[in-house]
Amino acid sequence: MKKKSYRISWKFLFVFGLLWGITMQGQDVTITGTVASASDSQPLPGVNVLVKGTTRGAVTDFDGNYSIVAPDANSTLMFSYIGFTTQEIPVNGQSEVNATLIEDATSLDEVVLVGYGTQIKREVTGSVQTVDLTELADIPVTQVTEKLQGQLAGVQITQTTGKPGDGINVRIRGQLSISGGSDPLYVVDGFPIAGNINTLNPAEIEDITVLKDAASTSLYGSRAANGVVLITTKQGKAGQTNISFNVSTGIQSVPQRGRLDMMDAVEFAQFKKEYYEDQGDPVPDIFQNPSQYEGRNNDWYDAMLRTAPMSIYSLAVSSSTEKFRSSMVAGFTDREGVVLGSDWRQYTLRANLAYDLSDKIQIGLNVAPSWVIDRDPRTDGTRGQGILFNALHTWPIMPIFNEDGTRTEFNRFPADTGNIFAYANWLNSAERIKDKTENLNLLSNAYVEYKPIEGLSIKSTLNAEFYRSNYEFFSPTNATYRINRPIPTNNEAIWDTRNTFSWLNENIVTYTKSIGEHNFSILGGFSFQKFRLDRDRLQASNFADDRLPVIQGATDINRNGTFNEIEENSLVSAFSRLTYNYKGKYLLTAAVRADGSSRFGSENRWGTFPSVSAGWIVSDESFMENSEAISLLKVRSSWGITGNNNIGDYTQYALVDNVIENRTANAVFGDTFAQGAAVSSLSNPNLGWETTEQFDIGLDLSLFNDRISFIYDYYTKNTTNLLFEIDVPRESGFEDFSDNIGEIRFWGHEFSLNTVNTTGKFRWTTSANISFNRNEVVALADGIDQVFGPNNWHITQVGQPFAQFYGHLSDGVYLNQADLDSSPQVPGRSTVGSIKLIDVNGDGVITRGGLNDDRAITGNPFPDFTYGITNRINYGNWDFSVVGTGSHGNELLVRHLFSTTNLDGVFNLLKDVENRFRSVDNPGDGFYGTTVGGGRVTGIERDWINDRFVADASFFNIRNITLGYTIPKLEKYFKSARIYTSIQNVYIFTKYWGGPNPEVSNQNDGQGDGGNLQPGVDLTGYPVPRIVNFGINLNF
Amino acid sequence: MKKIIILLGLIGFIATSCEDELTIFPEDSLSVPTFFQTEEDFTQAINGTYAPLRNLYDQEKPFMAEMSSDNTYFARNTAFGATENNQDIADHSMITEGGITPNGNVQELYRDLYRIISRANQVLFTIDEAEFDETAKANIKGQALFLRAFAYFDLVQFFGSVPMHLEPVLDREGAALPLSSSDVLYTQIVSDAQAAIPLLPLKSEQEPGRVTSGAAQTLLANVHIVLQEWAAAETQLKAVVNSGEYMLMPNYEDAFSGNSSNKNNMESVFEVQYQEGADGLQGSFMYQFLPRPIEADEVALLFGTADAQPINGQGNNIPTPDIIAAYEDGDLREDGSIMYIETRESFWNDGIYPIIKKYVEPHAQHNNHGINFPVYRYAEVLLFLAEALQEQGKDGEAITYLTQVRTRAGLGAHTGDLGDAIFRERRVELAFENKRWFDLLRTGQAISVMTEFGDRVINNPNDYYLPEGVPAAGNAFTNIRELYALPSSESELNPNF
Repeated sequence: MKKKSYRISWKFLFVFGLLWGITMQGQDVTITGTVASASDSQPLPGVNVLVKGTTRGAVTDFDGNYSIVAPDANSTLMFSYIGFTTQEIPVNGQSEVNATLIEDATSLDEVVLVGYGTQIKREVTGSVQTVDLTELADIPVTQVTEKLQGQLAGVQITQTTGKPGDGINVRIRGQLSISGGSDPLYVVDGFPIAGNINTLNPAEIEDITVLKDAASTSLYGSRAANGVVLITTKQGKAGQTNISFNVSTGIQSVPQRGRLDMMDAVEFAQFKKEYYEDQGDPVPDIFQNPSQYEGRNNDWYDAMLRTAPMSIYSLAVSSSTEKFRSSMVAGFTDREGVVLGSDWRQYTLRANLAYDLSDKIQIGLNVAPSWVIDRDPRTDGTRGQGILFNALHTWPIMPIFNEDGTRTEFNRFPADTGNIFAYANWLNSAERIKDKTENLNLLSNAYVEYKPIEGLSIKSTLNAEFYRSNYEFFSPTNATYRINRPIPTNNEAIWDTRNTFSWLNENIVTYTKSIGEHNFSILGGFSFQKFRLDRDRLQASNFADDRLPVIQGATDINRNGTFNEIEENSLVSAFSRLTYNYKGKYLLTAAVRADGSSRFGSENRWGTFPSVSAGWIVSDESFMENSEAISLLKVRSSWGITGNNNIGDYTQYALVDNVIENRTANAVFGDTFAQGAAVSSLSNPNLGWETTEQFDIGLDLSLFNDRISFIYDYYTKNTTNLLFEIDVPRESGFEDFSDNIGEIRFWGHEFSLNTVNTTGKFRWTTSANISFNRNEVVALADGIDQVFGPNNWHITQVGQPFAQFYGHLSDGVYLNQADLDSSPQVPGRSTVGSIKLIDVNGDGVITRGGLNDDRAITGNPFPDFTYGITNRINYGNWDFSVVGTGSHGNELLVRHLFSTTNLDGVFNLLKDVENRFRSVDNPGDGFYGTTVGGGRVTGIERDWINDRFVADASFFNIRNITLGYTIPKLEKYFKSARIYTSIQNVYIFTKYWGGPNPEVSNQNDGQGDGGNLQPGVDLTGYPVPRIVNFGINLNF
Repeated sequence: MKKIIILLGLIGFIATSCEDELTIFPEDSLSVPTFFQTEEDFTQAINGTYAPLRNLYDQEKPFMAEMSSDNTYFARNTAFGATENNQDIADHSMITEGGITPNGNVQELYRDLYRIISRANQVLFTIDEAEFDETAKANIKGQALFLRAFAYFDLVQFFGSVPMHLEPVLDREGAALPLSSSDVLYTQIVSDAQAAIPLLPLKSEQEPGRVTSGAAQTLLANVHIVLQEWAAAETQLKAVVNSGEYMLMPNYEDAFSGNSSNKNNMESVFEVQYQEGADGLQGSFMYQFLPRPIEADEVALLFGTADAQPINGQGNNIPTPDIIAAYEDGDLREDGSIMYIETRESFWNDGIYPIIKKYVEPHAQHNNHGINFPVYRYAEVLLFLAEALQEQGKDGEAITYLTQVRTRAGLGAHTGDLGDAIFRERRVELAFENKRWFDLLRTGQAISVMTEFGDRVINNPNDYYLPEGVPAAGNAFTNIRELYALPSSESELNPNF
């Protein structure tokens, strides 16, 4: 740490010194003055004052005063301030220039980004929302999507794990699919990217626009159904030169709130003692006297955690001359993880350049390389796969340290203690296992735009994305992430390299024309995009020497884990949009895109995606013009069809493979190896995209000179032709048949409210949103009305919401023999004190699976509503903001109970298990059953997933609090200087008892998107840290 | 305006020329239209047809055809949660509702057998169209016919009636067929096995480990014996004996494959081929057949592995006191088939269990061995022949074949009824080779023998590896059936059952 802080200050001084030199050049005229608000004549602090065409700037102090040095007396000063119109005042030889700024009432003439162009905000007819990322600059997170939490109505952004640089799940309008991907399409500066959005440095981004309804997204055709996120990176702005340096550094730690309350050593020994006593067996020596463990507790989970530093640096330089504009951003983030052995580092650069070759021709080039190094020693995952889960349930009487203070290597007690697994020392596992991913990403765009005549633009772009991810895993002989592996064990390694290359050529013509009161804009375009992934994976084991984890040192190559993968797809598209308005108040837009994709079956190659939308600015009508209160009232509606082409590249083909269902088709005859192959899938030449038809109706209302603005949308969507691998009987030799089937209906309400509560010196704004998203499965395939999740914990059933928790219903335990005799039982397994399940089908017997299944829906992972609220206060030089997000009515499946409440005493347990059933006279609280009878009895409780696993996970999270102060006395050296402190994940209000993170969703199969059928599962993943951060922004 | 028209024209031109760009075949897999053309393609396809046998013999078949009989039983580890799938097979307590069961072994066995069938169908469906060497083609076709007949023969014996696919499935509609009766299935099995015989080469001319004409004749004879077509069986078996391709290994223990030696020896008619290593060709069945918990050093002592691990869970396929008692005094095969190991951590008595010795061979890696699993041995050919002759009243001739087997076992002439003697001989000669359940079944004794066996287990649980005081499971031996119920996972997908 010490070394690091030294490095910070060195870099800082270097930049500082450099810029000092720049600002010290030539000084001629000093101008002073006061800036005030036009509405209430109050002085305005923190206003940016700039000498036009120079890099010279100043900021007004607490009393609205400024002082600036201009190169000559004929300069022009520019005054800009958030929420006010920027004003330019010529100096005209005066030494005092006072300004009164007018509150920005023209924000409705703001331009917003829409697909393939921009539109005046008030004329937009779709559902589009923009977030200015500079307002969220202080939030100390490393992923762009994480910053957006709580900012957007209808966009649910959840943090499913606290792993640095990972685990943010974005769903727009609740869109989901059975097996197709559900992530929105990310478009960076016009380029739909194929790589990971998380490699993008948030400091490079100017703003983010989310397109939600079909009218806004349909120009993205077969990729638009999950919604579209348009990201605009920082461009050089005319007439300004700005250098901005930001550094923040902080400490991350895991809050105590929400941690699972596990038994300590004494409690665990007591439990084991009682276990043997209740069983009528002799108590093993080590449990006979639980109090001997007093002061000898081993909290394995806590030992895995640490407080970890993080630092974020960025330097942005933008400048422009008459013909040339540039913006450059360099960033470095260093984030150590709160779990031992994990960390995340990111290095980024971006250069955005634009040059006017002539009045009519402009060329531009954006280049953005980034490099991310991510280390995580297999923290997440279920028992035996994730070391955090392993640590959580390791016996607290197992020592972490030897008497001499060194760490133990592994622990295993004799079998008569019930310890059936060997446990490695997970601290060693965290530090010794190498699990590293390096991502190298190069994103670039080039364009030429030609404007031969007024209103006509012809633009051609060439975009390329190179993305390389390099994964290395090595588990040496003295560490393991598995359970039941005594140390030393076999060493093993994986190398996995993915090279992806994606390029896109787009050619777009737009023509804008007004004839009288009729305003037209027409767009036509053609594009070609190609994607290729080359992957080399190598898995090997039994290396002669841990110090040489190189392939030539391995004894065995694991064939099943060693392969090449090549994925390729192409997309050819033509698209067009017509925008028309009459008098600027009757608005109409129609758009269509045709996509041809190599992913679609040979009989179904082209898809057409039309949309139409209309709007009426009611407030522009004469009957409303006199209304003082209403500054904008717009009603709008849209309809359209979009697609989801995340169906896999070769799904349509019947493939012949060497590895099928993870088993090799190779054979051996005698000692002779024989290459084998078999048909692994059924072909479907009619396979196509998933189709979503969406209708939206919305209202935009602004009151009192935009002091209050309100947006409402109601939408309804029907997704049909869902990609689904329909199970086929195995008598066919195949698992499934990929087809487009079924229908899911989505609908919802979204409300956004922005208010300017106070203006002037004390400026307080609030933005809040709330969304209600619902879904219902309307149909699945012929003859199939339900689909289970991959582990049978969920059911997706016609007539019900998607992916509901599914299991037995429970009713406490059998309290006594009479209760047992008079209640339905699991034959041969139920005993007095064991869990009492409900006989749903009334046949007198409890059955799991088959025709007489007693399972039912036990809960819903989807929220009733989600909401976000952001308050910002500026008072003089102080600024303060609070961001809160919440979710209500969603439930989680506390899956880890199968280990953490295992009544056979195999693992450490939740402290609550103390209240289990022990005898008829001591029945406990009815939640946990008897330990007597072994797995045949206790197994029902933990292996037959039941409603006790389902927990309410509603929450409200104070996501971020930031307090900043603009230092007024430094204007001589800086345009502005500001210091701030920011706390991330301040506090979560929730009743959720299954773990610290109510947003967790461990999809277990590691498929991310593919886990749609199994949402909301808590396997105690990487905890989300609280971050306390301090930062400085300097602008030169 | 002219410029726009030119541009639009250009766009149209590019759009049409891009149509070719929209056809991308996978580069990391082959696809059906381009495969099944050459001899190499069909060789790979037939090799892939054998592959599911490895999984089948690694656990499902030994459990369903041996542990379901009175030869072996389940070794309960009371410290471990239930593994009902296996115990229910040993205990004949499987849940069956409406002729279907959720048992995982049943499901896996069904899947593996149909994997073999679909791959064989794929070969048989396309091979006549392909042009390559006719001898090679006949050999591949013969192997495919054998494997299809073999898989259906297992299916019909386990389940009675099952869907019969004879062509590759091409779409969802064709995937589910109605159940075919056992008569229809047997007709097809006989026809496939008959067709395979002339296409397949003799063992001496075939690559070791692949099926041969002798294997097909033995399979066909086995089918005839199940159908009690004794004369037809005799014909096939005589052909095998007279081929001169086979003989008994002088020493019983040498009849079985080593980890990497003595494979496909002169007694072997057909065995499932495994190879130790990381190529996914290994077996691990001997690890399934151990009592638990067992310590790493105990495993190392048994197998000589350097990286031995302790094993937990439940033990399977442990020889019963019944099979141990079935060996006559002086039968060399008892020592060749059964050994005793000590497990210190076991909860059962002194922890000294009998285990199957036939497949205990030293190997290098934990849970990974190359021992082949015998399917047909020449000793069985001789016993089949003795049985077929005896059933036709040719006792004198039958005795000569029986005697060959007994002599090697160090035994003299049989005593008592010849038919009974041959049946007893099969039990001990072929113990733990997945024969016992089918033998009980085809002789109509399955229910009576297993009912009596069940009574012994329930009355003397401690003799059957249950720790002192632990009774047999409450539902043990409550559902003894001749036919296994079909897998419920299939019933959900096939509307015909």
